[in-house]
Amino acid sequence: MAEIVAERYTGASIKRSEDPRILTGAGRYVDDIKLPGMLHAAFVRSPLAHGLVLSVDVSAAQVLPGVVAVLTGADLEAMTVPGPDPLMALLGWAGPTPEFTLLATDKVRFMGDPVAIVIAESRYLAEDGCELVEVDYDDLPPVVDAAFALDPSSPPLFANLGDNIARPHSRHEFGDVAGTFAQADRVVDVHIDVHRHQNVPMEGRGCVASWDAGRAAMTVYAATQSVHITRTGVATRLGIEPDQVRVLAGDIGGSFGLKIGASREELAAAAASRHLGRPVKWVEDRGENLIASGQAREESFDVRAAVSHEGDLRALDVKTVIDTGAYPGMGMGAMVPDIMEAMLPGPYQLAALGFESTAVITNKATYVAYRGPWASETFVRERVLNLVAKDLGLDPVEIRRRNIAARTDPPASMITGRPLVGVTSKESLDRVAQLLDFPAFRRRQVEARAQGRYLGIGVATFIEAAPGPRGPDGALGSESMRLRLEEDGIVALFTGQMPHGQSHQTTLAQIAADEFGVPFEQVRVVVGDSAVVPFGLTGGSRSATMTGGVTLHGARELKAKVLDFAASLMEVSAQDLLITDGNVWVRGDPASAIAVSEVARRAASGQFGADVDAALEVEATFDGGQGGWSGGTHGAIVEVDAETGLVTVERYVAVEDCGALINPAVVEGQIRGGVAQGIGAVLLERSAYGEDGSFQSATFMDYLMPTTCDIPRIEIEHLETVPLDADVNFRGVGEGGMIVAPPTVVNAIEDALSPFGVRIYEQHLPPARILELIAAADPG
Amino acid sequence: MADITLRVNGATREGSPEVRKTLADFLREDLDLTGTHVGCEHGVCGACTVILDGRAVRSCLMLAVQAAGREVTTIEGLATDGGLGPLQQAMWDSHSFQCGFCTPGFVMQATAFLADHPDAGEQQIREALSGNICRCTGYQSIIDGVLLAAERSRDIDREG
Amino acid sequence: MKLPPVEYEAPTTVAGAIDLLAEQLDEASVLAGGQSLIPLLALRLARPALLIDINGLDELSGVSVTDGRVAIGAMTREYVASESEVVADAVPLLAAALPLIGHEAIRSRGTIGGSLAHADPAAELPAVARALDAEFVVRGPSGMRVIPAAQWFEGYLTTARRSDELLIEVRFPAAKRGTGVSFAEVARRHGDFAIVGLAVSLVLSGEVISDARLAFAGVSDVPVRATAAEDLLVGERPSPELFDEAARRATDDLDPPADLHGSSDYRKTVAAAIVRRGLRAAADNARERQ
Repeated sequence: MAEIVAERYTGASIKRSEDPRILTGAGRYVDDIKLPGMLHAAFVRSPLAHGLVLSVDVSAAQVLPGVVAVLTGADLEAMTVPGPDPLMALLGWAGPTPEFTLLATDKVRFMGDPVAIVIAESRYLAEDGCELVEVDYDDLPPVVDAAFALDPSSPPLFANLGDNIARPHSRHEFGDVAGTFAQADRVVDVHIDVHRHQNVPMEGRGCVASWDAGRAAMTVYAATQSVHITRTGVATRLGIEPDQVRVLAGDIGGSFGLKIGASREELAAAAASRHLGRPVKWVEDRGENLIASGQAREESFDVRAAVSHEGDLRALDVKTVIDTGAYPGMGMGAMVPDIMEAMLPGPYQLAALGFESTAVITNKATYVAYRGPWASETFVRERVLNLVAKDLGLDPVEIRRRNIAARTDPPASMITGRPLVGVTSKESLDRVAQLLDFPAFRRRQVEARAQGRYLGIGVATFIEAAPGPRGPDGALGSESMRLRLEEDGIVALFTGQMPHGQSHQTTLAQIAADEFGVPFEQVRVVVGDSAVVPFGLTGGSRSATMTGGVTLHGARELKAKVLDFAASLMEVSAQDLLITDGNVWVRGDPASAIAVSEVARRAASGQFGADVDAALEVEATFDGGQGGWSGGTHGAIVEVDAETGLVTVERYVAVEDCGALINPAVVEGQIRGGVAQGIGAVLLERSAYGEDGSFQSATFMDYLMPTTCDIPRIEIEHLETVPLDADVNFRGVGEGGMIVAPPTVVNAIEDALSPFGVRIYEQHLPPARILELIAAADPG
Repeated sequence: MADITLRVNGATREGSPEVRKTLADFLREDLDLTGTHVGCEHGVCGACTVILDGRAVRSCLMLAVQAAGREVTTIEGLATDGGLGPLQQAMWDSHSFQCGFCTPGFVMQATAFLADHPDAGEQQIREALSGNICRCTGYQSIIDGVLLAAERSRDIDREG
Repeated sequence: MKLPPVEYEAPTTVAGAIDLLAEQLDEASVLAGGQSLIPLLALRLARPALLIDINGLDELSGVSVTDGRVAIGAMTREYVASESEVVADAVPLLAAALPLIGHEAIRSRGTIGGSLAHADPAAELPAVARALDAEFVVRGPSGMRVIPAAQWFEGYLTTARRSDELLIEVRFPAAKRGTGVSFAEVARRHGDFAIVGLAVSLVLSGEVISDARLAFAGVSDVPVRATAAEDLLVGERPSPELFDEAARRATDDLDPPADLHGSSDYRKTVAAAIVRRGLRAAADNARERQ
């Protein structure tokens, strides 16, 4: 062979390594796990939103044939270590910390609150057992809306707090808020509500917990975004040394932020396993997933915008209340205001920002992280821009053009601190405007209106810290990875990433294959074993940059090490060696090639002395390098049927900048999935509570998921990015679609309904609501 | 309990499920065919779809005992000698899936649909798959996989 | 969401099924397609002591025509009915409604009789049966009864079938010359139950409407015939003004239920739009079929 050419994987839509097993039913999800002696758990759950638990009688359940044990909240307290979710401590929460038992003991705080766990030979029998547990409740007045939760007279859900405040009121100001508002030509004052909706992965939460009494060790087969964080949760609550807890995860059926740490139910199952000395499986059913797993986004905003007559958005003053539900979980609800505040300016030049927030506790399921937890900042900002544009008679694209920060050197900064380095928001907005052809659309819109049809167009722009550039405090955290050249020549990457649809098994192998010089098939990504992989979490859209980066740099380090070893094998200088296509060879001499696998075999043979480093393994860390923003602009054309309120999304375009693409098909899949969730949120999905706190969307007949007939083809264009780092310009893209799709669609719907004078101050627009808005509006 | 015999993926299988056990649970637990997934247990999400006597059905809405004497095909039964069938290959090529939990239902539903409608266009395919829910993909890549499979199948017919 | 404990029988004859029903009465549920019943069991909202699985009763399947009536066996699968040329030709309103029922996999198992015996007022088939004055043939220990649609639907999920009776077949009148049909519905998504639906069957004799049948789904606890609108339409020529007035008359007295998907007012408003659209579509269909 005259020349050995390396194949370039990065940037190509390499077929996924995950798919052969996924497509043939050979994936291994938690519910597929069967262990000898395994038992099944189900939970007795509160039918009330708020109540005292007077008594729990398990006697009938205990004697049902097939039921092995019934454990109450009190039983579980005796066998676990009380305390808050360890994740709250991990995330540094210092605010109000409710005290509560693992399962409800004296009080239930939301409909679905677990009260007892029934363990039986089958899930069928466990559910039968649950029906036989008799719980005597005394109703308490439910706290079902933020207004009542804020009222000091509302009954406190948690005795140790004395009120229903999850995060006390705080206010921060950036720039001269009062002065900017005083000098504004106009102040626009609106109230915007975002409704409660939820993650709904196709696989619910669940685990198989298996206690080995002989070794006093717990193994948990989990569905989780981080085996280490789950391990911490289990170890802390069960009072086990962390190194005696092993968490294993295989395939995971989606999560979108839901499956982090260990839920109360999973901890109860683990405690039950230890108590019984047998493996216990708990996999939630869809009812539990909808009622009890957690919900997100119930946030209200009072917004004041200081604007000029020409449409300059000079300042925003935002006051938000977050409804965090009953139990804090990892505390996402109380912490999300900080991220919202930081991101609220987006890629726009604000002179000042005021942001105040309160988070309240209510008799509802826990507020959890849901793909882009801070997304409402984009919804509020992008809606306000359109509302201001309407007030001033401006075009929505023009008002954005006017206010978007251009890319300058040095970069402009967001008023909240982070630099807008490399940001391509303006380019994305211009491109979306071009793709949608506004003038042509406006002509079509006029013609359609003459026929009684209502078409609308909307755009929205956003940036996403995935992880974004360094802020003033510098830190992005870091990611570590262990890379090893295995004896058989496989380059193994041990990562704490826990893919649940993100295709890391493929994308990280692409990067490593390119950097190291082996075929794609010669890289194996090892995930999902807390005994083997370093700490990590798949979340926050960090993995493309952080894990992509540590893979790139780690592969280089490993390659250098391997070349040093090969140099001593081949008796040449390491600088003269190359690795391409799985072979090590001397530059200019293809005949010298030795297979990497042969090099590895020699290294593992143990025949080398201390002077030769034959341990072909490195531990790499990466601190994010010179990161940049992900972001872009989305646009939609919708049609609203003004007689029925049904909305069709006719066209949807996304122009995105997510840096250098590792695998375009994977990137586009992430974007489309996020957009689908955003469309779902606006048109279909709502976690509905009644006035008495009863949960009303507990099946898929009431919690409506978008289907093939609801999501159009989504046209995606990638912007040529501005590279900021010498090597690592991959940026995350996982959350962007879900962040920017809701305002994109709502903007389009409002545009469609502008003949009626409709203005929209909310995110959920089912058909009945659309007709209400039309009826209430004033076309004059 | 009821003793039943049925054909699953071309093999004769037996079991003694409780009469209330669904076909989905029977396949997964009694026959160790965990490829069929359970996503909602009330017949809406389609993850449990299998093919029964040539028709796609929701296995969570059938009792195992009702499948006695019937011919069931699950996702494990589509792979030709350990490889991928043409639809599966087209879906691999199209990056159809992400987390994979909905996949068996989509593959079985699409298999049944394409068998009866080999020339279906995009809108028909969307309607045919509108009873299967995916949370990860936004559906486009799945539709593309089905369209690609149909196109390849037509190409083969033309060449043959 | 596992099913609760339940006994199970799979009779091999209609007589055997009736014997079981007579024995168990309200303690038994008949398991036909299972697409409505199994979810109720999974949610533990239904707790029968016995399931009587009638899927083995082959004689209850089939589509036949006798004396200008199309008889559809209760166990005829929805997909079979939708592929039937007899149904397409002679009961076009049924053919129009069938593709709207759920999804492919639902129609693989769901049955004509099962859906009509379950009698969900938001479902398509009850509205079709009510519009066409279908006849329900039941058999019990005391013999056969034929119940007209007007009497079949008694209340929410409640029919005139007695606990010891089995629905055997449903008979639809064969469509006359000049028939035009439509099934219009507003649903949240493709395949969902109708928030409001309307089955329309018109007969155009020349340009004049000589027969008009309109039945709503989703506006009450049973399908509802819009008789005031029907009376208006007969003898008139189709026109937008006529259809507007028909919509007013059809919806004036409606007091639809409210739920998560729509308030009562919403359903009423939408019902009027559906009447206009449904009548237009049926009139167009009549001209096409001529």
